[in-house]
Amino acid sequence: MSDSDRRSFLKRSVTAVSALAVTGCAPGSEPGSEAVEGSDASTSAALPPTTLEAVGEVVLPAELPPEERQQVVAGFRDWLAGFRPVVEQNHGYGTSEIDYGPPDPAPAYRAQLLALDLEAQRRHGSDFAALAPEPREALLRRSLEGVAGTGMPNPLTAEHVALALMARYYDSAAALDRCYGVGIARYSCRGLSGMTDRPAPLEGV
Amino acid sequence: MASVIEADICIIGGGITAAMVALRLAEDTSASIAVVEAGGRTDPLEERFEARQRYMDYGDTPYPGDHIPDQTARGIMSRSMVLGGQAMHWGGTTPRFTPEDFRVRSLYGVGTDWPIDYDELEPFYQEAEERIGVSGEQGPEELDPRSSPYPMPAIPLSWTLDRLKEWGERSGIPFWANPVAKNSVPYRGRNVCQRCDTCTICPTGAKYTPDFSFNQLLEEGRIELHLNTLVRRLELEDATDRIEVAQAVNLESGEEVELRARSFVLASGYAWGPHLLLLSANSRYPDGLANRTGNVGRWMTGHRPVSAYVEVPMELYPGIYSRHSLISNRFRRPGPLDRYLRHDLRIWESEVGRQPRLRDDDGTLLLGDAVMADWRSRGSQGAARLRGYYDVLPSRESRLTLDSSLRNDLGDPLPRVDFVDSEASLALRQHSEDSIRGVFSELVRAGGGRMLRSGVQDIYDHPGGGARMGDDPESSVVDRWGRTHDHENLWVVGAPTMVSGGCANGTLTFSALSLRSASELGKEFPSTA
Repeated sequence: MSDSDRRSFLKRSVTAVSALAVTGCAPGSEPGSEAVEGSDASTSAALPPTTLEAVGEVVLPAELPPEERQQVVAGFRDWLAGFRPVVEQNHGYGTSEIDYGPPDPAPAYRAQLLALDLEAQRRHGSDFAALAPEPREALLRRSLEGVAGTGMPNPLTAEHVALALMARYYDSAAALDRCYGVGIARYSCRGLSGMTDRPAPLEGV
Repeated sequence: MASVIEADICIIGGGITAAMVALRLAEDTSASIAVVEAGGRTDPLEERFEARQRYMDYGDTPYPGDHIPDQTARGIMSRSMVLGGQAMHWGGTTPRFTPEDFRVRSLYGVGTDWPIDYDELEPFYQEAEERIGVSGEQGPEELDPRSSPYPMPAIPLSWTLDRLKEWGERSGIPFWANPVAKNSVPYRGRNVCQRCDTCTICPTGAKYTPDFSFNQLLEEGRIELHLNTLVRRLELEDATDRIEVAQAVNLESGEEVELRARSFVLASGYAWGPHLLLLSANSRYPDGLANRTGNVGRWMTGHRPVSAYVEVPMELYPGIYSRHSLISNRFRRPGPLDRYLRHDLRIWESEVGRQPRLRDDDGTLLLGDAVMADWRSRGSQGAARLRGYYDVLPSRESRLTLDSSLRNDLGDPLPRVDFVDSEASLALRQHSEDSIRGVFSELVRAGGGRMLRSGVQDIYDHPGGGARMGDDPESSVVDRWGRTHDHENLWVVGAPTMVSGGCANGTLTFSALSLRSASELGKEFPSTA
C-alpha cells in the first residue's frame, strides 16, 4: 500500500464515526491530559443544546426521523466532550513526522452557536431555535457564506459548528447506510460472515 | 559501571524479523537468547478496542509511546521504535516475491541477481506464512508458484470486491484475493478477523503483530527481553574480528549496559541496522563494521507506486471490507521482454468522487436533504483504486549515511537515507510508468468506465538494502545466509539484506529471509532435537 493511500485512509478514519457511542475515554498518554480533559468536558457541555439541535434541523437530512436526528446531535456533543487537545496523532507508515491534533474546537463552536442566537434576536426578535425554518436556514447560510472548500471538513477543525455537525454525521456508518439504502455497518467489527452477499435493504429508507 | 547481560545469542531489534529469528532459534536450539529493543511496549491487545475508538473518533495515535523522540532521521519511512516495530501498524499484506525477482540480471539483463533463488527461499516463505498466519487464495499456478497451500483459506471477497474482480478480469488479466496476515479462521490461539476494517489498529488480534510472538516466547521462558535499551556500538574482540560486546544504554535509567554474546543478530530494519554498523567504526574498521569493502549503507532498495482512480460502470457498496483487495502477478511474471518492466497490480474499492460534499459542481452550499440527494446521485456508479509497484533497480549511490547535522540526545549521529535510481532504472522510468498507466487504461477499456485520475508517488516503498547479501564480498555486506563477510559471529537479517526491492510488499520476504538466516545460525548451537 502506498504512502498516500495510507494517509488518505487515516484522514478518512480520523473523521469516521463508529456505530458505537463514545462511552469513555482511555487514560491519557500525554502529560497533563487528565486536567485538560476535565476542562474540555465542561466547555463542550456548555454548547447551547437547543440552538445546536436547531442547527441540526437545518443541516441534517430532513428524512431522518426526529429521534434519530436528536441522537446524532447528542452523539456530537458526547464526541466533543471526549476530545483531548493536541494529542499525538497516528503516524503510521510513510512518514517520520510526529503530528499532534488540533486545539479544543469547543469554545469557538460555542461562540458560533451564541452568535446565531444573538443574530436571530437582533434580526427577528427571537432565539435561533424559535425561528421558522426559512429564516433559520437563511441566517445559517449567511454564517457559512465564507466557508472554503467543497468536501466535508474534519469536524475537529471545521470553520463552523454547523459544518462540524454535518461532517460528523456524514462520516458515520449510519449515513453511509442511509445513502445506499442498505445495511453495510461500516467499521462495526461484523465478522466475516455475510460479506459476500449484497447488503440487505434497509426498511424505511 | 555498566550492567552486563550475557546470552548465547543477542538479537538487536524487536520487530517482525527479530520475532522470526527468536521463534526459530528458540525451537531449534537450547541457546539462551536475549532480545534487545530500544523502545518500550505499546498498548496491549486488551486495550486496542478503546485505542481504536479514539483513533477513529479523533485521530489519536492507537500506539502510544511507540517511538523515541530523539531517534529519527531524514528519509526514513517510519518512526516506530517499539516492541513489535513497524509491524504493529502494518496493513498485513503478504505477497511473496516471484522467481524473477531473484534473477533479473540472468533473465532480463538488468540489475543484480540475488545469491539465492526462489526455490531456496520457498520453504522459508511457507514457514513465515505459517508462523505469521497468512490467509490466501492460490492464484493460477503459472503466476503463483507454491509448494503447499496457504495456512488459512483466503479472506472472502466482499460483494463489492467480487464485482470488481469480474470487472478487472474482462481485460483477460486474472485477479485473486490478496494474501494477508489476518486470520480467516481462528489460528494458533488468535481470533478470526472481525472485519473492523481498521487494520492499522486491529482490536481483535486477528492481524499478526510481533508482540504476540514475543509474549509467547516470554511465557515459555525462551527469551530474555530487554526493553528501552538502545544499542549504540558493537565492539570487536582485541585479537579477532568477532564481535565481543554490544554497548547500550538504558533509556529510562541512563544506565550503561553491556551485552555479551557468542553471536549477534542485527534485526533492526533497513535504517537502524546499517546505521549501527556505521556507528561502530573503530581503528580496524574506520568506515564501520562489516564495511571493509564500503558496501554498508549502499544499494538501498524499494519500489515506486503508480496509482489510478477509476469510475466503474456498476453499482458498488463501499465499506463492506475496504481494506481487502485483489492482486495479480500477471506483470510480475511477464515472460520474455523487449524492455524490462515488472510490476504488481492491485485493485481496491474506492470512494473517490463518491463522498458526501458541502458544495455541488456549481459551488452552491448544500444543507439538509440536498447533501444526501447529491451523495446518492454520485454513488450510483462505483469507483476503484488501481496500483502497480514497479521494481526500482538500486544504485550503489542509493545510500544511508551518518548525518552529522542531526544527533540524538546521546550525541550519536542519526541516519540519513537518500534513495537513488540506478542509471538503468532511470532510463526505464518513463517506460515503466507509461506502461503501468497503459495497463490501467486497458482495464478501463475492457471493463468499462473512465479514468478519474492517476499519479506516481516519488518514493521507495517497502525500503530495504544497506547490508545486501551476495557471494562476492566486494559488492555485498553479508553472505547468502546473512552472516557478515567480515565478522563470523555478526548476522544481519531481513530488509537490509535485500538485493532488490522487487515489485510487491516486502515484509513476508524480510521474514522469510530472517527465518533462513536463523536456520543457519542455529546450527552453531546445541539442538533441541
